[in-house]
Amino acid sequence: MEGTSSTAAITVRGLTKHYGSVEALTDLSLEVRQGEIYGFLGPNGAGKSTTIRTLLGFLHATRGEASVLGMDVASESVEIRRLTGYLPGGIALYDSLTGEQVLDYLVDMQGREPYRRKELCDRLELPASVLARKVRDYSRGMRQKIGVVQALQHDPELAILDEPTEGLDPLMQQAFYGILDDLRREGRTVFFSSHVLSEVERLCDRVAIIRAGHLMAIHEVDELLARRRRRVTLRWRGAAPDATSLPGLEDVQVDGNRIIGTLSGEVAGFVRAIASPNLEDLTIEPASLEEAFLEYYAAEETVA
Amino acid sequence: MSARLFGQTMRWQRIRLLIVGLAGIGWGLLIPVFYNAFSDVMRDLANSGAFPRELMSFGSGSLFTLPGAITLGLQHPLAIAMLGIFAVGASATAVAGERARGTLEVLLARPISRLSLYVSLLLALLVTVLIVLVAIIGGMVGGSAIQGLTDELDLGQLPLVLLNGFGLWAAFTTFGLAASVTFDRPGPAIGLSLAYLVINYFLEILGSLWTDAAWTQEYSLFHHFDPGAILSGDVAPLDLVIVVVAAVIPVIYAIIVFPRRDLAAPA
Repeated sequence: MEGTSSTAAITVRGLTKHYGSVEALTDLSLEVRQGEIYGFLGPNGAGKSTTIRTLLGFLHATRGEASVLGMDVASESVEIRRLTGYLPGGIALYDSLTGEQVLDYLVDMQGREPYRRKELCDRLELPASVLARKVRDYSRGMRQKIGVVQALQHDPELAILDEPTEGLDPLMQQAFYGILDDLRREGRTVFFSSHVLSEVERLCDRVAIIRAGHLMAIHEVDELLARRRRRVTLRWRGAAPDATSLPGLEDVQVDGNRIIGTLSGEVAGFVRAIASPNLEDLTIEPASLEEAFLEYYAAEETVA
Repeated sequence: MSARLFGQTMRWQRIRLLIVGLAGIGWGLLIPVFYNAFSDVMRDLANSGAFPRELMSFGSGSLFTLPGAITLGLQHPLAIAMLGIFAVGASATAVAGERARGTLEVLLARPISRLSLYVSLLLALLVTVLIVLVAIIGGMVGGSAIQGLTDELDLGQLPLVLLNGFGLWAAFTTFGLAASVTFDRPGPAIGLSLAYLVINYFLEILGSLWTDAAWTQEYSLFHHFDPGAILSGDVAPLDLVIVVVAAVIPVIYAIIVFPRRDLAAPA
């Protein structure tokens, strides 16, 4: 559990949610600092949406407490939602309205001006002609874009986004990442859930990993990436040296003049140790966060 | 109470409200015409014994008097259907429908409390029910005027008729909305609300057609709204109390249950 900071945008302490005998969330504690992009990572059914829905007051915690922007989620949920933008997972919209009418209605209900709408629509390629069409005629991707705009159009202090890139094509995903980068630069806080590791790696400052309702770990993304194992291939002129003399290299396979293995820990020390005129080629493939994540889970499984 | 949500709900109902309202006026206009055209024939038929008098009545109404015809017109399945569109259909789907579609969470992501959402929807639905009721009763009064029959009615009691009728239909509306905030899907909410309406209706009609079962009428909310009796000067304040109590109980239930409910992600 992390210590509470006066600049926390979200603080969760011992949050537990049971549905009858089903434990959806068990003793979750985390803290999201103001101005950071925080990833909430886990497979489907891990408890990501349950956490988000509890933060917004849709669900009532069985135990524990949480605050958003310094306000208690149980007693000040309305005020929290005034300052927050929320994109639900698999967003549903009013099919009988046009995109523009949906955005007008929701920003009207928000009670704030749509300061960012034009910019967001431009970046997500939602021209007036598209906004004039009924939502029922929209593709899934277009609905998701409207979902992103409705969540951010009123320039919220905190954006809570549940699987925000679901349904967006790669080009629009990049546009969305750009929007989040800008929000970070402006000091806005973003808390988003995802099971897409590459976007967490691309966007987040920190990531919480949740599984089966339990918090597995909280990491700085940079730290997680630094700790991950890398696939290393070395090719030597002539015979390969004794693999045991290569520091930090594990799972070693020797194939003629090639040595293949995995490296964990610092790269610089390894490179210094292997420096030799006989080294013909060196390839270090950066393991993706996905691999780091899978390794993490594999290790947890082994412990369990 | 959210004025924006109230306004939007009214806007979404306006076309349906216009159509049903016009149909209500039309139906109301026809009742005095039917009475004028057929009451003597019906009375002769009843007096001849060729046809049981009970079968010539419907619920608490009859075609033998204009007030009775007005009661009959308001207890007729057509009027029940017109009012039920909003009191049962719209109310039972108001929250459960949004919940099933997934739009409720988009709405509740705004700074609006569930209590405020409930009150806004309730007021909008009550206004729509009142408009339809006014349309039907207004049509009946207008039809009576056109037929030159207004002297058969105590029009001074008209506000009480409206109040009692509104209390009756408010009871079904609040029940429907209470069901709507209870379920995640509109099907069970509509089913329960419709069953409540049909059971009340059945008890009233059964008691009116079968004298041995007349006691069942006391248990029907429809029996506690007799516009004909009120327009004849026979006012029963207890009827008004009963329908108001029946309207308030579901409201109390809903304002206790709805804010405390868990709204899990839609399936």
